[in-house]
Amino acid sequence: MVAGLECFDNTLLPHLAIFAIGVAMFSPLGESLAIPALRKKWASLETKLGRSFAGMLLICLSGFTVSAHTLWMHNKAQEMGGGSFCTAGSVCDCASVIGNADWNTVPVLGLPWGLLGMLAFAMFMWLIITIAKEPTASWVLNNLKIGTNFGVLGMGVILYLMYAEYDIGKICQFCTTAHVAHVAATVGFFRLSKLYGTSDWATGGSESTVTQTSKERRKRGGYVAPTQISEEE
Amino acid sequence: MIRRNISDEAGARSDGLMIVSVIFIAAFTYIAFTTNPVYTGIGVGDRVPELEGKIYDGTSWTDFDLKENIDQNWKEGDAGTWTMIEFMDTNCGACVQAAPDVADMGNMWLGDNPQRTTPENVTVEFLAVSISLWTEDTAGKSYGKDEIVEFRSEYGHNFAYMDMQDNSHQDDWGGFGTPTYFLVSPNGIIQYATPEAEYGYTVWDAMQENIPRGD
Repeated sequence: MVAGLECFDNTLLPHLAIFAIGVAMFSPLGESLAIPALRKKWASLETKLGRSFAGMLLICLSGFTVSAHTLWMHNKAQEMGGGSFCTAGSVCDCASVIGNADWNTVPVLGLPWGLLGMLAFAMFMWLIITIAKEPTASWVLNNLKIGTNFGVLGMGVILYLMYAEYDIGKICQFCTTAHVAHVAATVGFFRLSKLYGTSDWATGGSESTVTQTSKERRKRGGYVAPTQISEEE
Repeated sequence: MIRRNISDEAGARSDGLMIVSVIFIAAFTYIAFTTNPVYTGIGVGDRVPELEGKIYDGTSWTDFDLKENIDQNWKEGDAGTWTMIEFMDTNCGACVQAAPDVADMGNMWLGDNPQRTTPENVTVEFLAVSISLWTEDTAGKSYGKDEIVEFRSEYGHNFAYMDMQDNSHQDDWGGFGTPTYFLVSPNGIIQYATPEAEYGYTVWDAMQENIPRGD
C-alpha cells in the first residue's frame, strides 16, 4: 500500500465526498460549483447566503451519515462479541476503537457515540433548514446561537474522544471524519452568525421590516394585529 | 379592507423537523434491519460480562478467565463448554443451606462419570464465586482464602471456587444477593439468570433443558 494511505478506507468515500462538496460550497469555489442547472432548481444558490446554507447542510449531512456508519459498526461489533475481539489493523483501526467496551458508549447514558453524533448532526441540520427556509424570521438569531453553542460544547466531546483514541492507541478514521465535520459545522455557524445582519443576509426582505415584525410579535405575545391597507399607505 | 398577515415561520420549523425526522428514521431503520447487536449484561440473552480472578481447584490457587470457556462462533452441535456460575458468600445462610444440593448437582454433572450424560464434545463446568455481603469487621462474619478452602471441603464440592471477596465483580455484574446462579452457553450468552427467573425454575432445570444429552 502507498505510504500514508493505509488509513484510507474506501467506504469513507461517500461521506468524504459529501463533506468536500459542502466545504467547497461554503468557499468561493461554491459560485462555480453551483452550475446553472442547480441554480435553476434551487434559486437560493444564486446568493452567497444560499450557497452557505447548502454547504452547511451538506457538511452536517456528511457528519450524520458517518455517525450512522459508526453506529452500524458499533452494532456489528456487539454482534461479533462486544469489546472482546481482536483485529489486525495498524494505527488506523476503527474496530478496535468502536469495539472497545470501555470507551464506545457515552458515560452515564450508555448510548453508543454514533447515536449521539446522529442526534447532534440531525439537530444541526434542523437548525440550518429552518434558518434557510426563513432567513428573516424572528428566531433566526436564536437558532444561530443554539448552533454555535452546541458546536462549542461538542468540541469538548471531541477532545474526550480523541483522548479515548490516544488511550486505546488506535485512530478511527470514521470517528475522525465525524469530528472534522463537527468542527467544520461549528466554524460554519460562526460564519453564519457573522453574516447575520449584513447586506448579504437580508436578501429576502429588509432587515428593518423583520426587526419591526419581531418587536411587534414579542410585544403582543406572538399575535400581530391585522392592518388595513389604507393604514399602511 | 382587512388584510391577513401570513407567516411561514412556524412552517419552516415544522418542515425542517419533518425532513430531519425522515432522514433520521431512514438511517435508523437501515441500521436496525442490518445489525443484530448483543449487549453485555446479566440478563438472559445478554453476553456474559468479564469474570477473571484466582480460583482454588482443590489443590492450588490458579488464574482463571471465563473468556477461555467462550467461543463466539459456537453453534449448537459444536464442541464447547457450558458454565454454571454461582455467586455465593461463605457467611450467607442461604448459601450454606444450598451447599449440599450444589454438591449433589456437582456429582451429577461433573467428574469422569457424571450421572447426567452429555455428548462427547460437550463439557460442563461449575464455578463458585465467593463475594462479601458483609465487611470483615462484622461480628460473626469472617472472610479470606482459608474460609473459601474450608467451605469447599466441608461440603465436598468438586468444582473451583473464585476469590472475589473484594467485590470487584460489581463493576460489570452489578450488585445482587446470594446465592445467585447463571448458566452460560459456550458462545458466552447467558441462558439462565436467577434475578429474572420465574419462581420455582432453578438453574438445575435450565441445565437439564439447555445442555444436550449424550448417547
